[in-house]
Amino acid sequence: MSRLPPLSIRYLALAFIVGLLALTGLVGTMAGYQTRSVAHSMAQRAQDVARTELTAAVERLVGQMTARAQALAEWDETRQQLVMSEYYTHWRDHRVYENRMINGPGNRVALYAADGRILAPTATGPAMPAVFPGGWPADRIIARLVRNGNATMLDIAFPLFSDAHRHALLGHGILRVDFMAALLEQNTLHFVDRNSIRLHMTANEEIDAADLLSRLTYAPLPNADQERFLSILSRTLIALLGVLGIAAVTGLVVYNRLLVRPLRRLSLDIDAMQQGGFPTEGMRTQPMQIVELENVRRSLYDYQLQLHKLHGSLEHQNREFRSQARQDALTGCYNRRAYDEDWETLREEMKTAPQSVAFLLFDCDRFKAINDTYGHARGDRVLTLMADALVMALRAKDRLYRFGGDEFATFLVGATPMQARQIAQRCQNLLDASVFTDLGINEPVGISIGIAYCPANEVEQVDDLPKRADIAMYAAKKPGNDRIAMYGEDIDAASQTLVASRETSALFQALSTPGMIEMHYQPIHALPERQIEYYEALARIRYNDALIMPGAFMPVIGSRRLETPFDLAVLQQVDTDLASGQLPRGCGVSVNLSAQSICKPEVVSQLLELSRHNDRHPLMLEITETSLITQMSDVRTYLELLRTVKYRIAMDDFGTGYSPLRYLVDLPVDVVKFDISLVNKLGRDDRAGRIVADFASMMGNVGYSLVAEGVETEAVLQKIEGLGIAHAQGYLLGRPTPLAAIAGGVASTARRA
Amino acid sequence: MRTLILLLFGLVPILCRAELVELPVRPGVIATADYVAGDRAKPAVLLLHGFLQTREFPTVVALARSLQDAGYPTLAPTLSLGIPRRKQSLPCEGIHRHTMEEDVDEIAHWVKWLKARGNKTIVTFGHSFGSLQLLVYLQQVPEPAIKGYIAASLIEAQTGKVARAPLVADLESRVRSGQRALVTHPLSFCGKYVSTPAGLLSYARWDQPQTLAALKKAPVKKLLIMGDADPMLAPGWLKALAHIEVPVTVVKGANHFMDGMHEFDLVEQAIVFLDALKAPPR
Repeated sequence: MSRLPPLSIRYLALAFIVGLLALTGLVGTMAGYQTRSVAHSMAQRAQDVARTELTAAVERLVGQMTARAQALAEWDETRQQLVMSEYYTHWRDHRVYENRMINGPGNRVALYAADGRILAPTATGPAMPAVFPGGWPADRIIARLVRNGNATMLDIAFPLFSDAHRHALLGHGILRVDFMAALLEQNTLHFVDRNSIRLHMTANEEIDAADLLSRLTYAPLPNADQERFLSILSRTLIALLGVLGIAAVTGLVVYNRLLVRPLRRLSLDIDAMQQGGFPTEGMRTQPMQIVELENVRRSLYDYQLQLHKLHGSLEHQNREFRSQARQDALTGCYNRRAYDEDWETLREEMKTAPQSVAFLLFDCDRFKAINDTYGHARGDRVLTLMADALVMALRAKDRLYRFGGDEFATFLVGATPMQARQIAQRCQNLLDASVFTDLGINEPVGISIGIAYCPANEVEQVDDLPKRADIAMYAAKKPGNDRIAMYGEDIDAASQTLVASRETSALFQALSTPGMIEMHYQPIHALPERQIEYYEALARIRYNDALIMPGAFMPVIGSRRLETPFDLAVLQQVDTDLASGQLPRGCGVSVNLSAQSICKPEVVSQLLELSRHNDRHPLMLEITETSLITQMSDVRTYLELLRTVKYRIAMDDFGTGYSPLRYLVDLPVDVVKFDISLVNKLGRDDRAGRIVADFASMMGNVGYSLVAEGVETEAVLQKIEGLGIAHAQGYLLGRPTPLAAIAGGVASTARRA
Repeated sequence: MRTLILLLFGLVPILCRAELVELPVRPGVIATADYVAGDRAKPAVLLLHGFLQTREFPTVVALARSLQDAGYPTLAPTLSLGIPRRKQSLPCEGIHRHTMEEDVDEIAHWVKWLKARGNKTIVTFGHSFGSLQLLVYLQQVPEPAIKGYIAASLIEAQTGKVARAPLVADLESRVRSGQRALVTHPLSFCGKYVSTPAGLLSYARWDQPQTLAALKKAPVKKLLIMGDADPMLAPGWLKALAHIEVPVTVVKGANHFMDGMHEFDLVEQAIVFLDALKAPPR
């Protein structure tokens, strides 16, 4: 059942008033109709009463006149005139009146002899027929109406007999009266308009009295009470309708003023509130005349006021939070969130107002070492001082963003490449001038700066600026550079070369195509048994039936910052290989993992998934390039987590610049893999060889399990065995081999056994 | 058986209803009367009403009923006064063309009628002016069959307070000159009696002396029954009647109409008078 849409109270009120008026009109119409019906009924009743009255009056008149005629007929003096008519005129003109046989001068009587002759002609008054009408019955009384001139006479003719048996006819008599005068003289008409009575007869026409009523027309006398009643009723109805109409209009006005307008005002105020506005006039200053509405208005206003205050408070807090959310708590500069917002804003502005932009990426050199060496508090202080120096070096309108750790960035709108480089140089100069000795840090603290530039006419490249600056920053970190690198022709050329190379294509294809990365496994032998205990999983890319070795694609990974995707692909392939069951049970597998990937949740998740093979194949993670670890605490946490699922942690390439000794202290490392450069020194019998040997011996004594990489000669192997190093790896013991080959070797060994 | 038959015959007259008798008295004029045969052995009574009245006058009706009850043949005519089959009393203002002579003539017709019906002995019994008319008849038309005359409240023709002689002279003059114009003059109980000069003259002549003389000369047995409370009587009328030595019975307290309890006195006196008359042999 569909609901009606909400209606406006104004229209409801209007509909109600219109309905009320319509209903009033209907009632008035019905009342008017009923009144007219009653009036018609009363008029009909009056007509009937008038007809009855007039009929009775006529019958009474005829009856009276007939009775008079009858009395005349039976009056002795009447018969006397027919016997002796000498004094007939005296009788006619006096006696009949004296004796009240007839009354009124308009009434006349005439007597006729048996032969029809009148006894004496009339001299005055209405003329009487000279001869008794021959067509009239002679033996009974009859009543006839005769049109005589302008008057209509009622003639009552009566026979006169001398005997009781009515055998001896003496003559006739005619009693004549003026019908209308006699009728009106009765004075008994109370319901008939006397002036309206008309008797329609033609000249000299003669009709029987029985037909009299059909010739009479009349009008009922207006009933004053009835007309007064109807008039009062009509006036009352009109007054009632008028009062109702006025009341309806007044009610509408009052309703509109007292309810509709305030409600509309409330509604508009509420709408304004919903739009975020706050009415300061109507709702607050104009009280409403309806108590309930006034209460609603006050409550709403108070509520809105409180809400407004709360909103203001929230707005303030929001600004505070937003400010705090955009500010780096440690350094006071803008944080990554502010960067994202400002960068997005800039991108949008660039679409409409293109201008040149230079993106500067700052990274503190050896901050990890400083942090580890002097503690986090001092490390944080170094970051603060560094941020202060950078902010001071930037232009007033430029903002410094901290991405995390020791990485900062800024973008210089409208700057030329030269200006960008000058600003970068100023940053380095200020930082170099900063004194960190107060913090107890005596070694120099420097930064590497990568610059990417986008001219105004190439705004479509603005999205590539962060990436380019990152590449430039890594270029700046390379030994030999002046720690400021601008993404430009040289870097771009190298990048383009990499991108255009076969290895690059193979790498990107391998990352998106499962199976293209092929794992080769190089055995790690336990000493002195020289038995295979682990295999180190080494990635190869099979591309167009050829293998691309790590030396070819690893630079691309580094330059493209593809460490994490590559590591995920490797872990996926190792998982597949382990699940295939081709490796001998009990043989461990060591997997290389870049320092950048170890703190990535998706990598950790993949490792946790891979840990299900630990019971069959003990797993070991070889962390490479540990010097690039920036979030030491997070890495430590993840490594501790992985150790709980039986991973062993190995520090790879120990002895190179990527794996400093200090990281060995902070990271939960189980195995230390001596880089081949150190292993080669073991073979020499000089001071370096002794230092390495002693160092290896010392580490073995404190519980680290050592693995010697790059063992290529028997002499080195023996030396290693002599130093008590538990494991060795190198071409001497076994080259990296495809999984299928390992499986085949295992199978043939089994067959030989 | 014979006694029974006689008794039945004797009751027949009593049981019979009154007979309406119509009698042409003049051309075009028929007079009417009620006749009850009564006992043939008893004298027939001709009852005549008063001035302008009819036989339906109460005093007459009462007398007739009483006499009929007593077995007397009674004939109660209504003088026509010139009106055929008159049955209403004539108002004083009516046109009176009748005369005393015509009245006497009608009485004579009725006497003849009675005699024709076998009544040999007739007693005339008049009331008021009818007594005078009967008296005039007895004077002017001697009839041997009439044996008695009873007059109740006999009065003369009273003509008002003016002198009768000039009136009579005037009327006689009118009559002689042939004047037919109606005259209006008091007569009897009528203050305005409208009449022809001849008619009024015929009545006006009968003053007290004329009446007394006729009474004295009437050749029948007479009885006058008068009321001493009769306002119609002229002063000294009763004394005058006494002077002529006619039997007069005065009913104490009776008025002119002898109504009420005096009606019995009237009837009693009349029956005594009638009973005293010897019925003629059949």
